[in-house]
Parts: sequence; C-alpha cells; structure tokens
Amino acid sequence: MPKNDRAMQAHILIVEDDPQLGAQVEKRLRDAGYATTWWREGVRPMKESWPAVELVVLDLMLPGTYGMDMLKQLRTFSEVPVLVLSARTDASDKVRALSLGADDYLTKPFWPEELVERVRARLRRPTLVRAGTTLDVGELALDLENHSTSFRGKLVELTRVEFEILVALARRPGAAVTRAHLVESALDSDRGGGARTLDAHVSRIRKKLGDESLVETVWGIGYRLVDRAK
Amino acid sequence: MKLRQRIALVTLAATAPMVGGLVWLDVRAQQTAAEAELAELVIARTELAGERERCIANGQSWDEAPRLRRRDRDAAGPPGLPPSAANDGRRAQPLPRPAGPHRAPARFFVYDATLQPRTQGAPAIEAEAARDPATLISRSSIWHGDWVEVLVRTPWPETPCAFVLARGTTEPWLGALLPPTRIWALPALVVFATVLLSIGPVVGRLRKLTAAVQRTAAVGYEQPLAASAAPVAGWGDDEIAELAGAFDSAGEKVRALLAQKDQRERALRDFVADTTHDVAIPLTVLQGHLTTLREGIAAGAPIDRGALASAMDEAHYIGALLHNLGAAAKLDAQEFVPSDSEVELGALVTRVVGRHRPVALQHDVSIEAAIPEEVVITRGDVTLLEQAVSNVVYNAVRHNRPQGHVAVVLMVGVSESVNEQEYEYAHENEYVHARAHVHAHEGRKAQRRFVVRVLDDGPGVAPELLSRLAERGFRSAQARSRSPEGHGLGLHITQRVVDAHGMQLRFSTPEGGGLQVEIEGACS
Repeated sequence: MPKNDRAMQAHILIVEDDPQLGAQVEKRLRDAGYATTWWREGVRPMKESWPAVELVVLDLMLPGTYGMDMLKQLRTFSEVPVLVLSARTDASDKVRALSLGADDYLTKPFWPEELVERVRARLRRPTLVRAGTTLDVGELALDLENHSTSFRGKLVELTRVEFEILVALARRPGAAVTRAHLVESALDSDRGGGARTLDAHVSRIRKKLGDESLVETVWGIGYRLVDRAK
Repeated sequence: MKLRQRIALVTLAATAPMVGGLVWLDVRAQQTAAEAELAELVIARTELAGERERCIANGQSWDEAPRLRRRDRDAAGPPGLPPSAANDGRRAQPLPRPAGPHRAPARFFVYDATLQPRTQGAPAIEAEAARDPATLISRSSIWHGDWVEVLVRTPWPETPCAFVLARGTTEPWLGALLPPTRIWALPALVVFATVLLSIGPVVGRLRKLTAAVQRTAAVGYEQPLAASAAPVAGWGDDEIAELAGAFDSAGEKVRALLAQKDQRERALRDFVADTTHDVAIPLTVLQGHLTTLREGIAAGAPIDRGALASAMDEAHYIGALLHNLGAAAKLDAQEFVPSDSEVELGALVTRVVGRHRPVALQHDVSIEAAIPEEVVITRGDVTLLEQAVSNVVYNAVRHNRPQGHVAVVLMVGVSESVNEQEYEYAHENEYVHARAHVHAHEGRKAQRRFVVRVLDDGPGVAPELLSRLAERGFRSAQARSRSPEGHGLGLHITQRVVDAHGMQLRFSTPEGGGLQVEIEGACS
C-alpha cells in the first residue's frame, strides 16, 4: 500500500504499561512504516526532555502518573496529536480526555487495524490545496475561476453541471459524498435534476476523463474521488 | 456524671448560697439587735445622775454584775431602764441582763480616751478604734462565736471613762445558726426533694429510650422504635416523645439507605455473574477455533481460513458483548440519566465504521461511511450512542454475504424532510433529503435534525418482522447461540439508548433488498 512520505518518517510515542499490548502496538505501527518509541510507564512530561514525535498513543490507565494528568501536563507546552486508549466504558472519561486536549480515542478492545487507521487519519495532511481558485487532486486540476478542467495535463471539456460535480467531489478527496449532496451542489434545484440524472452525468464525466476508476461509485452513498496520492 | 446527680448538685449549688446568705443576714440581725440592747444599757446608765463621778472613781463599778434574782429580773421591767428612778443616789443597781436567751450576764469594761483599760480583765483594744467618730462601734463578728461586743463612747470623752466596751452573748454559735437554719433549710429541702422527684421520671424515660434505641440499632434498624419503646411514647407529645419520633425517622432513613445499598450490591453481583457467563461461552468457542488452527498448522495443513474467520468473529463478538453489557448495566441503573455532553456524530460514525472494518474485510463485505463537511453535533452519552450505532453496523456486517455492502451515512436536514414517509428507493430518498436541504436555504424555520442511516444489501428481514427487530432476545432461538449472528441484545440496546435520548429508530426494507436502519435525532 502506498504510503504518505510524511507517514514513513513519522515518529510515534507509545505510552503503554501492559507488556503484551504495548509490544503488539509497537509491532503494528512499525509494520505500518512508522518509527516508534515505547514508554512503559507514565512520566511527567517536561518541555526540556520531550522527544520529537509526530503523534502520541497514550493509554489512560497507567500506573504512576495517571494518563489524564500526563495529557494535561503535555498540553501546557505541546500541540502534538494525542490518541488515547481507554478501557473504561464510561462516557465521562472520554469526554474528559477530549476536553483535556486528546484528539481521538480508541476504546479497548480494538483491532490493530483500527489503531493503524486512526493513526494514519491523524497524521494525514490534507492533500487538497485550496490555493485560491484552483483545486488540485493528484492528476486532476480544477480552475474555479475559469471553470476549466485539466486531467493528466490535458484540458477536458465539461458541462457546467459536470464541472460542479467534480468540484464537489474534489473538495473532499477520498471521502464518499452522498448523491444528495452532489445533487444539491451541482444540479438545478428544479425537479428535473434528480438522482438518476446525476448518475448519467457521472457516467459522462468518466468517459470524458478517459479514466473509469477516478470517480468511484460507493454503494448506498454516492461517489468518491479517489485520491491517488494516498 | 449522671443526670440526677447533676441536677442535685445544681440545686444544691443554687440554694446553698441563698440559704447561707439568709442565715448570715439573720445572724447579723440578731447581733445588731444584741449590740443595740447593750448600747442602750450603757447609754441609760451614763444618763444616771452622778454616774460620771462614780465611774471616774471606780473603773470597776461597771463590771459588777451580780446575778439578778429571778424576781428582781421580773420586777426589772422593760430592759434598759433602771428598776426605779428612786434608786437614784444609792449604789447603782447592777445592770439588768439584756433580754433574750443569753447565757451569761453582760460585761462592761471601761476605757479612757486612749483606750487604756480601767477595768480589770478588760480586753485590749487597738488605739485606732478610737478614731471612729461614731458613738457605737460594733466589734462583733460572726466568726467570734456567740458573743457580741460594742464599744460605746460615753458623754465624758476627756475623763478616764471615755469608752465602755459592752460584751454580751447571743445564742451559742450553732444556736445562732439553728433558728434561721430551721426556717430556711426546710423550704430549701422541700425544693430539693421536689426537683429530684420530678426529674426522676424524666431520667427514667430517657433511660428507656436509650435502651430502645440500642435495641433497634442492634437489629440494624429493622424495627421502628415504636415497637420496643411504647412506654416512652406513651407519655404524650412532650420533648421526649419528640426525640423518640426523631430517632424513628432517622432509623427509617437508615433502613432505606441500607435497602438501596443492598439492591445495588445485588445488581452488581448479577451483572458480574451474567457477564462472566455471557463472555465465557464465546471465549470458549474462540479457544476452540484457535485450537483448530493450531492443530491444523501442526499437521502441516494450510491455514484454515474458515476457522480463522470464525475466531475473529468470536473475538469481535466478545468485544461487542462487553460493551453491550456495560451499556445495559448503565441503562438498568436506578438513577440512570444519560449524560449530557456534546457528541460529534461525524467522528462517532468514523470510529464505528473503523471498528467493524477488519471483520467486514475478513468476510469480503465492503463498508463505507459518508459524513457531511459540516460538524454535526447532538447532545447525549457518547458511549451509549456509539454502542447503539455500533450494534446496528455489527448486524449489517454479520447479516451479509461475501461481496456485500454496508453503507453508513450521516445526514443533516430539517424536520419536514426527515418525517417524509417515502422510502421507496435509496436514490429517491436521497433526493428528498436534497430537496429539503434546498428548502432550508429558503429560510424555513424548522429544527435541524440528523439521521444516521445504516444500509446493507444482505438477506434482509421479512417485512412483518421489521417491527420486532428491537425486541429483547428477538432472535431468541439464537440468543445464546454459539454463532455470533445474533444475540438479540444488540438492537434492543440500540432501542433503549435511542429512547433514552429522545431519538427515533426506524427499520425498513429498501428496494433492492437488504435492510435499512435509521436513527434520527435533534441537532444541538
């Protein structure tokens, strides 16, 4: 699986006291291409001695310095993303962790893939470049001012509706967008522009781009612009 | 110190000074009276004609006080007066005894101006006493026993008969005390006795009340006081009865608290027992699958994918079960109120889909989520809501087939649109939402609502059974089955969570088959 360059260099700090769980998490993250440091117990984070990491996986149930305290202390000097692991089913624990500055939480038990997916999501930087009036997603470039489209360097002729559909998809590359949203964004609000028309438009877009897989159909939802950069 | 003793002491402490004071006053009064008598005698004698010369001549003359014979005393008339003025010129009659029950005759001592005694046996008097300008100088003291003394200035200050010390007696000291004591002690004793008598029953009742309270406490406040303290209460509605009543209500509260604790303890024990049992079964099955895998590998066979998939399913089920049991315990708790915090639904949907994706992939079921760009917030308990959605998604993944699909969509709209009853076709439905969204821009004021829709193209559910999906143990035949296909708990929990949050849960069959489940609620 192609990996974001940044993700390959990303250094992750794991704070986990359970030996088996910690070993599994470390192995998983290393296999996913990250560099890891594993602390087996909570320590009071100090600005001077804090390691240079891009993300922290912090288990809230730590002996010694309680996980929440560690998080609170960390947030006094660092904005590094923190993903907390919690075994408590209590909502208040999660709410508190988030309010103290955690960015996300995973409740045990979890599948290792879940963890890796969440870590990736946190480390991912939007590939969308909202540089003024252009949208660039991989090989696709959309000029919002001139309403022009270029794909793989070549100009593509799209109707206004087709352009708007692509723009709506390109604003959220890799994310599934509902038909309703596309209809609302791109089609005329009269009864004529319905969901079935949308399908027809997308079909034409695919033909014009000459690439059937760039705009992916997502069952039960709508469409997705595949972000090849990921 | 006990109550009775304390009250006795207090009464004593209150009355004793009073009695003592009254006695002292009485004794002083007697002394003063005696002094006055003596002084009168002295003054009367000084007024006798020729007394001055007699006194100067013979300092002893005043002290001669032969006993009066009874008849002379009787004939003496009122005290202080000489028996008869006719005695003038003859040898002065001895002073009559002062009236009153005196033991000894009075004695009179003469002093000159510097208080030097002129009479034999006269007690010494300090010279400073002469400085007192009064005519009568009392010299008696309550501590000097039963005699009184008074120093009288004669009308002849420059003569050797300047002062006369008269000494008499009152009652013997004890006797001085006794009459007044008799008078005052008796009422004091009566008061004393009355107080003790009246406090007696009160103390008795308090003792009974104490015993009753101790008995009640001994049986863990099972019985109210009234059962064992009838004599206490039987005295009407005075303060002690009120106290008994107060103990009773306190005891009741303790009982209620204990009952509550008992109930919680029982609920906790039940929960632990249930959990243990419910988890033990799938865990056993999991161990079974792992053993199958191990044996297969040991035998050199390729990995049994079926066993592996089953093992993963079982483990996944255990995780879901744990969370569901926790949710059920929370919902069952007596004072359950869903916690009221902000819940970001987009993140929730992402988490849930991420949770189930590994198992979905294992079964070749695709699972996708769609969340709007805007942040959708509702209020409630994030853990319970997440479990509610998770249970629906779990079912969608499990009740599916290879190459199947699950879609989880978060939508935001306004109330009219979401109440639309058109469920003919997923696509058309999307359009209805889109239309309503457009209308929202036209400024219709309606409450913003969200819908979490879970859609799958699995075998679905027969229409007549749709309404029963959320019943507890609906798949009762498989409720405790080894297959994690249905434990009948998941959707029931979902329904309860949805109800507790004031949201709606809907089941429908989309065209094309499968099942559509929607959770709808209000945005905050």
